[in-house]
Amino acid sequence: MSTRRPVAATLAVAGYVIMIVPILFVVATSFTGGSTLRFPPEGLSLRWFDAAVHHTPFITAMVSSLQLAALATVLALLLGIPATLAIHRGRLPGKGLVEGLFLSPLIVPELVVGLALFQQLMIGLRLDNFTVLLIGHTVLMLPYAVRVTGASLALADPFVEEAARGLGASPLRAFFTVTLPLLRPGIFSAALLSFVTSFNNVPLSLLLQSRDFRTLPVTMLDYVQQSYDPMVAATSTIILAGTVLVAVVAERTVGFARIFGGINR
Amino acid sequence: MTVAAEFQQVTQRFGDFTAVDAIDLTIPAGQLTTLLGPSGCGKTTSLRMLAGYSTPTSGRILIDGVDSTRTPPERRGLGMVFQSYALFPHLTVAENVGYGLKLRKMPAAERKRVVAETLDLVGLGHLAASRPRKLSGGQQQRVALARAIAIRPKLLLLDEPLSNLDARLRVHMRAELRRIQAETGLTVVLVTHDQDEALELSDQMVVMREGRILQQGAPVDVFPAPANRLVAEFLGYENFVTSADGTLRTVRPEHLNVVSEPTTAGLTLEGVVVDVAFRGVDRLVTVDADDGLGRTVRLTADVRDGAVTARPGDRILLSADQAHVVTLAG
Ligand SMILES: Nc1ncnc2c1ncn2[C@@H]1O[C@H](COP(=O)(O)OP(=O)(O)OP(=O)(O)O)[C@@H](O)[C@H]1O
Ligand SMILES: [Mg+2]
Repeated sequence: MSTRRPVAATLAVAGYVIMIVPILFVVATSFTGGSTLRFPPEGLSLRWFDAAVHHTPFITAMVSSLQLAALATVLALLLGIPATLAIHRGRLPGKGLVEGLFLSPLIVPELVVGLALFQQLMIGLRLDNFTVLLIGHTVLMLPYAVRVTGASLALADPFVEEAARGLGASPLRAFFTVTLPLLRPGIFSAALLSFVTSFNNVPLSLLLQSRDFRTLPVTMLDYVQQSYDPMVAATSTIILAGTVLVAVVAERTVGFARIFGGINR
Repeated sequence: MTVAAEFQQVTQRFGDFTAVDAIDLTIPAGQLTTLLGPSGCGKTTSLRMLAGYSTPTSGRILIDGVDSTRTPPERRGLGMVFQSYALFPHLTVAENVGYGLKLRKMPAAERKRVVAETLDLVGLGHLAASRPRKLSGGQQQRVALARAIAIRPKLLLLDEPLSNLDARLRVHMRAELRRIQAETGLTVVLVTHDQDEALELSDQMVVMREGRILQQGAPVDVFPAPANRLVAEFLGYENFVTSADGTLRTVRPEHLNVVSEPTTAGLTLEGVVVDVAFRGVDRLVTVDADDGLGRTVRLTADVRDGAVTARPGDRILLSADQAHVVTLAG
């Protein structure tokens, strides 16, 4: 750590502490042998993990959340990648407007988006809540898909496709041998970010829930409002472990520098 | 003379703006042609039309005698080196150079040999396995060159290939380009805004301005006889003097001498020294000539030349030999 920048270093340490310590408390609590969410934990046991993986509402909600996140991620990428290409490589007029449109969900409060979808689609068009949630999450993720994939394209030399054409590649060939490989790290990180964003989302999922389809965060929220036992902590720890696993795999295969490099550089 | 390519009345408009205005140009095979001119004169636009990246608004482009005006770039078989090099960052140096050969379905063994030969030609054999990102600007430029040469292009097109290099490397690469052109016998079209580069490299130089060709020919013919004031200015002539009879004459700064008496032949000017700038090998002296036109003339004088001790405010008399005075058409 740089000692020449004491303020930045202090802030960084403070940031890590503020982010990590509460998580450590949750993780520690989940291993308790007692029956309340209390720190320090009373004894050590895996009973709440056992309870969590056998709690049907959580299992169902977990499957729902994973399904929703996966589908919404795929949809957001399917819409976002062509949009990115059009913005960065196309000659469409009013590029700025198009880009603004795709980034706007970042600024509009989620509750507003949720309410609009609720009124127009669920009440108005009588769509079922899974479809509406899928639409909502896809819309929320579009900015990531456009921005993050766009970042890797913006960094690339704008003439590489032309260079490929000059060397004998058809437009399609140039796309698959040059453009797509350049986009790959961006697509990967956009998928990761989208998936996590959808999986963690509360406002939209809360507003658009139904008895048939409810995401894990919403179900957990529901649960803590009624019972205050460590099963929620155990569930959180399991999710955390899953996230860390994904992060490690991502780091090993692509590398964080490359995944997030697109944003920071 | 075999003709490699030809522009016939080629015009390119962007909206109301005419970037290239009805140019006629012949590119002789096996020679190096440079397009020279100030920023925005239409050099890149012309090169891009030749490469097939844009279609002329009107006119025809012939390659090897065949009308190729609307042929897409992948079917022209030309090699282009972009100003930014446009290397493929996800491929190694060898893969970059082999890209065009792979598209031509060259067998792997032969491809490997051609890639190695081409990399040796540009002096990069030892970097075949590196990624372009890891290379210096000069090395990247050579990779771009090798990638374009490897496909044995009908024409090698270079857009300001040396302008991103530092001054020393730039001069070194001029010699390299000449050597590579001689060794491969390729027809080369090079875009530059550097007159020294154009003079040193060209078999044929084409001076452009505002989308038109002002003059073209071999450097030895163009340099001593610029067709008009614009070409002369671009080639570094200063000191434009209009005589009583209306003819316009010009002398380069290095051809003006400080004299003590007016000479009859050639050109004589008198004036007040405004500024003296030391430049290492010489001094640049700026003089306000007192012929009533308030004209500024500049001369350079060897630093070892003790005769030039002029300071701002001094009156001096300048003259140029008749041999160095160029009379311009307009
Ligand atoms: N796609 C385009 N749309 C609109 N105007 C263009 C386009 N391409 C070029 N121009 C204009 O055409 C003129 C010539 O451009 P060009 O790039 O050919 O100049 P150049 O001689 O290569 O200059 P430089 O030395 O700066 O590279 C410029 O004024 C430029 O702004
Ligand atoms: Mg240019």
